[in-house]
Amino acid sequence: MIGKKIAAFFFSMFLLSMAVFSVARLAPGDALISYYGDRAERMTAEERVWAEEKLGLRDSLLVQYVRWLENGLKGDFGISYKYKTGVLQVIGNRMENTLLLGGTGFLLIFLGALGLGSICALTENGWMDRWICRVGTISSCIPEFWMALVAILVFAVNLGWLPSSGAYDIGKSEDVPNRILHLILPLSVVVVQHVWYYAYMVRNQLLKELGAEYVLLAKSKGLRKGKILCRHCFPNMIPSYLSLMAISIPHILGGTYLVEAVFSYPGLGTLAYESARYHDYNLLMALCLLSGFVVILCNLAAQMINEKIDPRMKEQTYG
Amino acid sequence: MAKLLEVSDLFVSFYTRQGEAQAVRGVSFYLEEGEVLAIVGESGCGKSILCKSILKLLPYNGVVKGGKILIEGTDITAYKERDMERLRKHVISMVFQDPLSTLNPVIPVGKQIGEAIRLSSQGMKKKAVEERVAELMEMVGIEEPESRWKLYPHHFSGGMRQRIVLAIALASHPKILFADEPTTALDVTIQAQILDLFREIQKKMGTATVLVTHDFGVVARAADRVAVMYAGKIVETGTVEEIFYDSRHPYTQGLLRSLPAYARRGEELYAIPGMPPRLIDPPMGDAFAYRNPCALEIDYEKMPPMFQISDTHFAATWLLDERAPKDLIPDWRQPYA
Repeated sequence: MIGKKIAAFFFSMFLLSMAVFSVARLAPGDALISYYGDRAERMTAEERVWAEEKLGLRDSLLVQYVRWLENGLKGDFGISYKYKTGVLQVIGNRMENTLLLGGTGFLLIFLGALGLGSICALTENGWMDRWICRVGTISSCIPEFWMALVAILVFAVNLGWLPSSGAYDIGKSEDVPNRILHLILPLSVVVVQHVWYYAYMVRNQLLKELGAEYVLLAKSKGLRKGKILCRHCFPNMIPSYLSLMAISIPHILGGTYLVEAVFSYPGLGTLAYESARYHDYNLLMALCLLSGFVVILCNLAAQMINEKIDPRMKEQTYG
Repeated sequence: MAKLLEVSDLFVSFYTRQGEAQAVRGVSFYLEEGEVLAIVGESGCGKSILCKSILKLLPYNGVVKGGKILIEGTDITAYKERDMERLRKHVISMVFQDPLSTLNPVIPVGKQIGEAIRLSSQGMKKKAVEERVAELMEMVGIEEPESRWKLYPHHFSGGMRQRIVLAIALASHPKILFADEPTTALDVTIQAQILDLFREIQKKMGTATVLVTHDFGVVARAADRVAVMYAGKIVETGTVEEIFYDSRHPYTQGLLRSLPAYARRGEELYAIPGMPPRLIDPPMGDAFAYRNPCALEIDYEKMPPMFQISDTHFAATWLLDERAPKDLIPDWRQPYA
């Protein structure tokens, strides 16, 4: 069965590479601008032909695709037209920042949603539940970029407590407190924006579980409600929650990209935005492939976690 | 001697969109040590709700509106959740109707039984708990418990799962066991097995049991006393002999008459005409009057009180009033003219 999964994984990646390649090329714009900057606009026709030849843009799309794929399989995704260095190197430099923001954000959302959802389920229709629901609905309805701007206005401009942009002050990239200080605002926006969506799912899922018959049996044993939730309902809910959260990674990653752009946070999001804007094909494609890779991997992981936790699912697959 | 369980004048209502549904309307009964009381009635007559309201396991829209519940002479009517937890741990247990959904699907059965043991005797060693789990599983007829207690509920058949539920219910040596249609969801052949097991264990442990059922076969096989419920009220109660051989309420008689065992070859099975009343707006008088072939005028206007027939036998029907015409009560074993 594991072989089947690996085959499906490679097939998905292959389809993804085709889609990424064609979408990147179909988008309108001039690739030469990203390589030569303003100079491209002053080029003569011959110079353009020469430049396109040099970058391999004059071959047919199929040839370009096969060449790109071949090199990609060897680990060479070409150079970034804008930065003039290897694509992987450019991505590597930014990856750390995004992982820090997205990873911490994801973790906080994951745990926060679980906690908030449980509190709501335990106090169903009580004042606590109702207030958390209200605040949560509002917070998740505010657009991310607007929330980010308001946060900058309040905490950076008016109050002056926190820095408004970047990942660290110049020359302080190794300074941990400084980095944390820069992380607070973008992180808060990412978490506040996303946490309720998942907390609400947790709440409703838990309420569904609390209505199940086995809860009555647990209650008739004399088990306390909070313990029933932890010992009996969580194991039933966690598989679907884990797969939900695994699928949510791209969603949260997308949110991170947007927040990065508003805070000029030097991560993959700003990089992807720039590369799309300047037609830095190689960089754009590599970033898309990377993101797609994460999505497929997450789904695969979700499925495997599910099988591990829920004994019934395993037997459906292997039995 | 104080009765083990005494319920008097219990009212339970559900608040629904359509209005207040009076599921239990003034029920009184008692349970003595070591006996099995069967509560019999059609679906929806409030018998499950009656049990759940005693254990305080009602859904959130169900409210106990009045009455008193005494366990070993202690009034538990006003008990809060904490006190109920203690009671559920040590004194009362419940077996539910559908063994397919009452066990937690993702926890091994041994662990589920062990949890009940640990809750009732705190601080028990792991080894001792395991031994007790094995002992309980053997008691309910599951062989080779050590090899099976790591299995999940879906590895077991319905009958086996009900045995496990029974083991969980008995883990705390309860004084009172509520069994809510424990055999209804099972195969007919399995029903008899489970019922016999039930009776055997009940006799051995001396657990007083409230057995909810709609099946007179179950009553005959397992019960000492019977309470017949109709539309949220107990209409007749007595020992098994009194109910089977000397029933006085026309509803009880109708139920007995509709048993296939009483049908004659070539004749259609008897069915009580009509439907049970809606509990949202129950009729003023005797709720059964509308389906009663020998209803009196007063039945439609005034609820009948409980008439005493013997020390243990009571029935709520105006037919037992001294002013009622005596020849109206037909012998239910004869077909109506």
